[in-house]
Amino acid sequence: MATPLEHELKQLIIETLELEDTTPEDIDPDAPLFVEGLGLDSIDALELGLALQKTYGIQLEAESEEARRHFASLRSLVALVEARRND
Amino acid sequence: MSNPARPPSDAPLTSQPWRHVAPSRMAAWDADAGRPVAWAELHGRIGAWQRRLDALAVPGQRWLLHCRCPREFAAALIALWARGDSAVLPADDRPETLQALATECRAALGDVAGGLVAAPSPSPPHWGPLEPSRRALSLYTSGSSGEPQRIDKSFAQLDAELAAHARLWPLEGRLVISQVSHQHIYGLLFGILRPLCEGAPLAGAACRTPETLGAWLGRLAEAPAAPPGAVLVSAPPPLERLPETLLPPAAAGRLARVHSSGAPLSAAASAHARRVLGAPVEEVYGSSETGGIAWRDQQRGEAWTPLPGVEVRADDAGGLWLRSAYLETAEWRPQADRIAPGPQGFRLLGRADRIAKVGGKRLSLTGLERRLARHPDVLRAHALPLPGRPHRLGAVLQLAAPALPWCREARRARVAELRDALAGAYPASLMPRHWRFVATWPTNAQGKLGAAEVARLFRDLDDPRRPRWLGVETEGAGRCRVTLEVPERLSYLAGHFPEQPVVPGVVLVQWAVALAEEHLGLAGEFRDLARVRFPQPLLPGERATLELAVDTTAAGPRLAFSLTGRHGCHARGRVQLARGEVDHAG
Repeated sequence: MATPLEHELKQLIIETLELEDTTPEDIDPDAPLFVEGLGLDSIDALELGLALQKTYGIQLEAESEEARRHFASLRSLVALVEARRND
Repeated sequence: MSNPARPPSDAPLTSQPWRHVAPSRMAAWDADAGRPVAWAELHGRIGAWQRRLDALAVPGQRWLLHCRCPREFAAALIALWARGDSAVLPADDRPETLQALATECRAALGDVAGGLVAAPSPSPPHWGPLEPSRRALSLYTSGSSGEPQRIDKSFAQLDAELAAHARLWPLEGRLVISQVSHQHIYGLLFGILRPLCEGAPLAGAACRTPETLGAWLGRLAEAPAAPPGAVLVSAPPPLERLPETLLPPAAAGRLARVHSSGAPLSAAASAHARRVLGAPVEEVYGSSETGGIAWRDQQRGEAWTPLPGVEVRADDAGGLWLRSAYLETAEWRPQADRIAPGPQGFRLLGRADRIAKVGGKRLSLTGLERRLARHPDVLRAHALPLPGRPHRLGAVLQLAAPALPWCREARRARVAELRDALAGAYPASLMPRHWRFVATWPTNAQGKLGAAEVARLFRDLDDPRRPRWLGVETEGAGRCRVTLEVPERLSYLAGHFPEQPVVPGVVLVQWAVALAEEHLGLAGEFRDLARVRFPQPLLPGERATLELAVDTTAAGPRLAFSLTGRHGCHARGRVQLARGEVDHAG
């Protein structure tokens, strides 16, 4: 069962990137978000970065190694938001 | 009241032949009533429009003009020209189209929201000169390859083109029946200005269906004082859909010629139209920017012959260049189409490469479309950067009927398969993000996938309350069939059964009413629902066909709808509306 935050982030991804045919259940929390898995690309990464900033106030250096690590999967994104929003 | 042929003139428009015409001569023929309409009546309408405009503004204005009735459109156009004004002709009457042009114009005239109309009582017209160098009107391209572009035409340009047409295809007093919009250059020249300039009668109304055409031609044969035959101004969509038997026996031989323009007609459709209508089919190739370029009759071959006054050549890449007496300057201009010149004229090879910049990368849309069309299930492909989303591509794909996805899983699998097919050649950022699978190619009345069709296909992206629109087929007056898909992002799905979201029934009724308003002109206030059933739930990602039929009861307009998907009926019922107040502001 997805945690509320997991579900919220899945919705955020779908809404931000205007994914058609994708519901929260389709996003495997452990699968890679980019290239394979959801098949997201570098423009998606930028948009997702903006959405995280707007929603949770999290600043990520675009195209940085750090961003790449956080965007690896939904699970890592959840960890990022949990850690930073309590700052 | 028969109209003797007029000798060809070099200034068919600026000489304003309607100024000197005998008031008893035929200006139009009311085909529904089988009744001639004299120039005296049209003069009265011209004067009525002028009285309206004179009361509003001094001459030298630009007026937005949209009017479905050919006669009333002609009266308004002549009225404002004679005053010294020019016309802005919107491509369609969508609110966003009109809004974008509002600032350019003094006011809107005709059958648009808030459009000014002339008083019903006639007035004597007054005449002023039409200076050849003056701007007569502005038109807009269909926007199939980007934002609609404004095209200005001077009276001299229109004169040159109308004179060439009159020599090539003299009307000789025949009735001109048009099935195309005169808000575009082809319908304007062939359906309105040519008959006015050549002294041939206009049909009193637009000819919407093949049945109407058959009835009118039959009446032409029987009515006393009818014009001596007819010319049909048509386009690929109506000609491709002609029923096998159409004309009543009496109508045989009444049609002298059929014109088609907007897109090339297939050889089969051309032969079919010739057989059913019993007249040669003369196609015109051109664009809003250039006017007519060339013509052909496929009975004689596939090649196009340049129109008189037009010179054509190909560059090394096959790109078409043209120099035309219908343009304001006599220089060579490159065009977007590629051609193969031959001894009998030239063959059209299709559009030259369309290039888009997506996320900062240059991409050949033509190349992407070719790659998509290689898939055996894909009949036709169109890729485009989406309006308002320059970094995202949309794709419109026509699929063979058995390959159309009917549910979310099938659609996901279809998209994944197409992405896989592109993966070797394109990075993920250049792949289409938004896919629209259609059964028949969505076109406007000119036979093109235009800006309005593109806007419809992708509007669910900007409005999460709307279904995904995948095409409409009209079936005679008051009936149509709209194909829909349920977007996963539809806002009404939230909270409606967490385990299995379904589209609420009230939303389906709302969609039926909204689409009937859009496609069938349904108007009026909601009264009540009858016999409404929702036998099968409609799930996210499912595709369904909505059949709509509007008729009128004593109480007002009534809509019957039924929504059918792969597993049967999702919704059906009737909506009764009360007769609405027609808004005739101004």
